[in-house]
Amino acid sequence: MTSTAVSRKPLGRGRIAVHLGCLAALLVMLYPLAWLLATSLKPADEVVASLDLLPGHLEWSNYRTALDGVNDVSVWRLLGNSLLIAGGAVVGNVLSCSLAAYAFARLRFRLRGPLFAFMIATIMLPHHAVLIPQYIIFNQLGLVNTYWPLILPKFLATEAFFVFLIVQFMRGLPRELEEAARIDGCGPFRSFFRVVLPLTRPALITTAIFTFIWTWNDFFTQLIYLFDQDKFTLTLALRSFVDASSTSAFGPMFAMSVIALLPIVLFFLAFQRFLVEGMASSGVKG
Amino acid sequence: MTTTAIPPEAKRAPAASPRSRTARRREGAAWVFLSPWVLGAIVLTLLPMAVSLYLSFTDYDLFSPPEWVGLRNYTQMFTEDPRYWRSVVTTLTYVVVAVPLQLALALVVALALKGMKRGKAFYRSAFYAPSLLGASMSVALVWRAVFNDGGTVDNLFGTGGWVNKPGWALLAVALLTAWQFGAPMVIFLAGLQQIPAELYEAAAVDGAGTWRQFLSVTVPMLSPVLFFNLVLQTIQAFQVFTPAFAISAGKGGPADSTLVYTMYLYDRGFVASHMGYASAMAWVLLAVIGVVTAVLFRTSRSWVFYASEGDR
Amino acid sequence: MPGHRTKGFCASAAALALCAVLAGCGGSEESADGGKVVLRYTWWGNPDRAERTEQAVALFEKQHPDIDVTTSFSGYDAYKQKLATQAAGGDAPDVMQLDYRQIDQYASGGVLLDLAQQKAVLRTSEIDQGLLATGRVDDVQYAVPQGRGTETVAYDVETWKKSGVPLPDGSWTWSQWADSMRALAEKTGKPGATDPGQSEDAFEVWLRGQGRSLYTEDGGLGFTADDLARWWTFTDELRREGAVSPAEQTTQLDGSVENTPLGRGQSVTDANWDAPASGFLALVPTGVALAPMPSGEDGTPGQYFKPSMFLGVSADTGHPEEAAQLVDFMINDRRAAKILGASRGIPVNETIRDAIGPQLKDFDKTIADFQSSLDGRLKDPPQAPPSGDNALQSTFQRDYDQVSYERMSPREAAENYVTEAKAELRS
Repeated sequence: MTSTAVSRKPLGRGRIAVHLGCLAALLVMLYPLAWLLATSLKPADEVVASLDLLPGHLEWSNYRTALDGVNDVSVWRLLGNSLLIAGGAVVGNVLSCSLAAYAFARLRFRLRGPLFAFMIATIMLPHHAVLIPQYIIFNQLGLVNTYWPLILPKFLATEAFFVFLIVQFMRGLPRELEEAARIDGCGPFRSFFRVVLPLTRPALITTAIFTFIWTWNDFFTQLIYLFDQDKFTLTLALRSFVDASSTSAFGPMFAMSVIALLPIVLFFLAFQRFLVEGMASSGVKG
Repeated sequence: MTTTAIPPEAKRAPAASPRSRTARRREGAAWVFLSPWVLGAIVLTLLPMAVSLYLSFTDYDLFSPPEWVGLRNYTQMFTEDPRYWRSVVTTLTYVVVAVPLQLALALVVALALKGMKRGKAFYRSAFYAPSLLGASMSVALVWRAVFNDGGTVDNLFGTGGWVNKPGWALLAVALLTAWQFGAPMVIFLAGLQQIPAELYEAAAVDGAGTWRQFLSVTVPMLSPVLFFNLVLQTIQAFQVFTPAFAISAGKGGPADSTLVYTMYLYDRGFVASHMGYASAMAWVLLAVIGVVTAVLFRTSRSWVFYASEGDR
Repeated sequence: MPGHRTKGFCASAAALALCAVLAGCGGSEESADGGKVVLRYTWWGNPDRAERTEQAVALFEKQHPDIDVTTSFSGYDAYKQKLATQAAGGDAPDVMQLDYRQIDQYASGGVLLDLAQQKAVLRTSEIDQGLLATGRVDDVQYAVPQGRGTETVAYDVETWKKSGVPLPDGSWTWSQWADSMRALAEKTGKPGATDPGQSEDAFEVWLRGQGRSLYTEDGGLGFTADDLARWWTFTDELRREGAVSPAEQTTQLDGSVENTPLGRGQSVTDANWDAPASGFLALVPTGVALAPMPSGEDGTPGQYFKPSMFLGVSADTGHPEEAAQLVDFMINDRRAAKILGASRGIPVNETIRDAIGPQLKDFDKTIADFQSSLDGRLKDPPQAPPSGDNALQSTFQRDYDQVSYERMSPREAAENYVTEAKAELRS
């Protein structure tokens, strides 16, 4: 599509070298993952002590324990809760961050510079420092022990990472596109939805994927704001197998890690193909 | 920060006066687009930030009301706390090692995948796989096993364990970050995807080879994304917490070698219950990251190219 | 037309005002749910403890149809963080499990209710008085102990027997212990024990064996840099001889038994609390036995029965009486005790301890037997440590790392620690 069109050589030596290089790199990169999978089948005395990759014998009971869920809360419930939070976060981030990004990237308004600087500054303060004030705010709003503290911030574009990401992509779009739209009589809203948003799709898909994965794995926020066990998520349940003050269950924890990994693998696989269709293939000629 | 961060076009605002009605309408529209962000920024960001700034001038043990102590937390940090300075050095070392390592890996892989027709989706997924995991406890245990005495790395290279030696443990943490290069890689790929094919065609017509195309098309067109990755990875590296916390089981050991800045901040704030001190640490970090980011933004003028500003 | 901008501004301002209104109406009112009182109860622990606790709570709800208990649990480290955030946010759960080290901070921060106010429903008469006193701060009973635990030297029976070194009997002094560790290292080729130098708990046992204590009555430091330098010199020498684990092994301790040198098969013994020691069974399938901690040279015991967990009630609870009823139930109810077993340590309620003793199985029984072998021989536990101890526990381990990685002498590190500790306890 892009440079391939220009430098096409049917499986030239260079291509083979690239494939071989990638495969070799993958071998190294995926080794720890193989380890994780293997460990999820190890019996208790091998989980930590054994430095072999393969288990002595396959301990399927790790999975049975993990699939039992935690303390009357079934694994399906945990999964559903995780999906709800991650799904809500994806919708929120994609919507609110692209709105804010459009304003920063393409519109003029007073205080744009200082506000943009402020937005970037918000990601510079370690979140531990604002944890308690934020908790107090949500508690005052009566939202602790609901999913709102995990989802609402995403609808308010609090993750400057994604705003900045989309800003960078929007600024990469040629200005003529909008000029043309404006001449056709599109106001900022129409040109946002009709012209800019479709062209920023790679950035939006990226936002969706990262939001899903990061929200899914965000143990800390879930821990702080969720109280009832039937509101727990897979990520929270995963940690409950390990308690330093009593006997831990590392085997089931690894099994639960693998189970918790599956949905995000599927999400990634489902959405990553949309990453391919960027501007280059969408047929837009500047 | 401040003015350096202004998207350049803002400064041209006066020039737009002939179309001032439209400009005003667009100003109104801008605030509509911004309204969710403004609400979130005030209630969920600015307010807590202001509280933590106030707390940084107090003695606050989480439960009793904060007591104003002026600059004491700051002076104590700079003059009486050797562990604080050790954490600063550790963090700087980490930033210098982890950021280039991760970005280089992400960029090289993204470029390798760019021109691929077959297997691209497979490789992209496979290279992203480690990043799906985050730095959970299971990952930390795997990492510790791989980098332990008698672990894989020791067996292959005879280096001994890394996670349990003060000189090496931080490298193991940096490698965990670098291993999870999926996020910057995907962002690079998306950026590469956005480069119009016509540019390459035009370059080819002008007789540019692969290398020439890379320098005159790929690099400038990718620069906004490269800049984004550089800024964000640097900011995140300064705040690194989870991988160091997970690998050292929350201790920052061996011998404080992985006690990075935010881990020490967490230790002060939540373990030792000196939230005032921890808040002061947070604001010093913000100032330092702010300066570094401002420098990056300033240099960006000379190497980041925005298509929207065209050839001005 | 600046009106547009103002409009946007007004919108935000209106939204803010809405938040303020919400804030007014919100708040953590523990409202009755269909006329029922709702209590929130949290603890830390593993899934087994959670399951048993749930059963006990279900029984409580059956006995008190007007009370609904919502429960929550997490691992210890996560729990501490969550509880601190909740309490700081004025949202502490009605009934919470607390650690010895948390009592002072939570009590003096005004988080906990004075339980004497609920004497009518919360009985403490059957609890060992020495243990009960550990839940008092400034003579106010803020928390009630649930179980007790004590430290132990857990050892790999088979390896020790094979080595030919005489097995530990009922008591030993620190120097006899050190000799055994040296002999074990020599015979088995691996260290006898985990280096105890990093553990504030082990140091406390050693210190108490000499008639001293970690903290003075008024919360000051109970020992000098000289004392600490002696302890660290003692452990440092053992480490250099190979009698206890090397720094590279010791540093991997993360609180789990799996990551102790004994759990990894890299030493013969490990000093640990008795309850988690049951985890060694899965790792050392040939068998683990418990020996007491070493005593002072004159036989003064250093170890003590430590309240393993407390229950406290939030000072802000809307239902102090119901909360106290739940605490009473968890501690004094016979049927609850049967369900809970030793999942929170051996019960402190003496009647219950005697009643459930014969029912305990497996390692719970090993622990109960171990504890009863010490009953009457140990001194009263110290009062709850001052809040600064939370920070000092990790400082202790960090400073000793400097010794075991040979970056500081025991003396230098001890001086450092004492300086840091004095500053911490003053603040």
